[in-house]
Amino acid sequence: MTDETIAAAPQTDSRRDGFAAVVGVAGWLVPGLGHALQKMWGRAAACFLAVGALVILGASMRGNIFAWRDADAFATLGYVADIGSGSFYLLAKSMEKNGPDVSRSEGDYATRFLAAAGVLNLLAALHAYEAAKGRKA
Amino acid sequence: MTLHVTHFQAMFAFATVISVVFGFLSRRPPLERLKYIAWSLFLFLLVGIGIGWLMYPFSR
Repeated sequence: MTDETIAAAPQTDSRRDGFAAVVGVAGWLVPGLGHALQKMWGRAAACFLAVGALVILGASMRGNIFAWRDADAFATLGYVADIGSGSFYLLAKSMEKNGPDVSRSEGDYATRFLAAAGVLNLLAALHAYEAAKGRKA
Repeated sequence: MTLHVTHFQAMFAFATVISVVFGFLSRRPPLERLKYIAWSLFLFLLVGIGIGWLMYPFSR
């Protein structure tokens, strides 16, 4: 190994780490974008459509979209799950004009759909981050 | 507009979406992916319906 190669290795590593961080944040903000930046088109489409479907179903069925500093610890946990869907959290907020209705089973299911969309997107963003780091195929 | 669905439809929609994402994230060859999605969907439905029946005696 030449001196140049030895000197270039840490720089390549830090560039890869930077790209991985961008991929992770992009994947969180826009579902599937983290995979799209790495040309994993199938995974990108699957994540975008799945998170989008869950958010649209959840908002259409009038699930509870938690807000920052809601009533209790469970509501805060709900907010953390909901915000996991990134920009789609705002989409859900804008779609649900009449507010939540958890007096029916649909509203209860819809609350879970919205939380699942967020958690699923966080999982996908983490997967994209790991793939960018070269730790996942 | 409020969307109305039955318990089964909600469970099926949820299981399908989650299975597809799990399949895409964890498998790469298309056939492996398809098998994983089908198996995951089947298990989601089996466990969901199973738990439903387990709770049935206590619902009245």
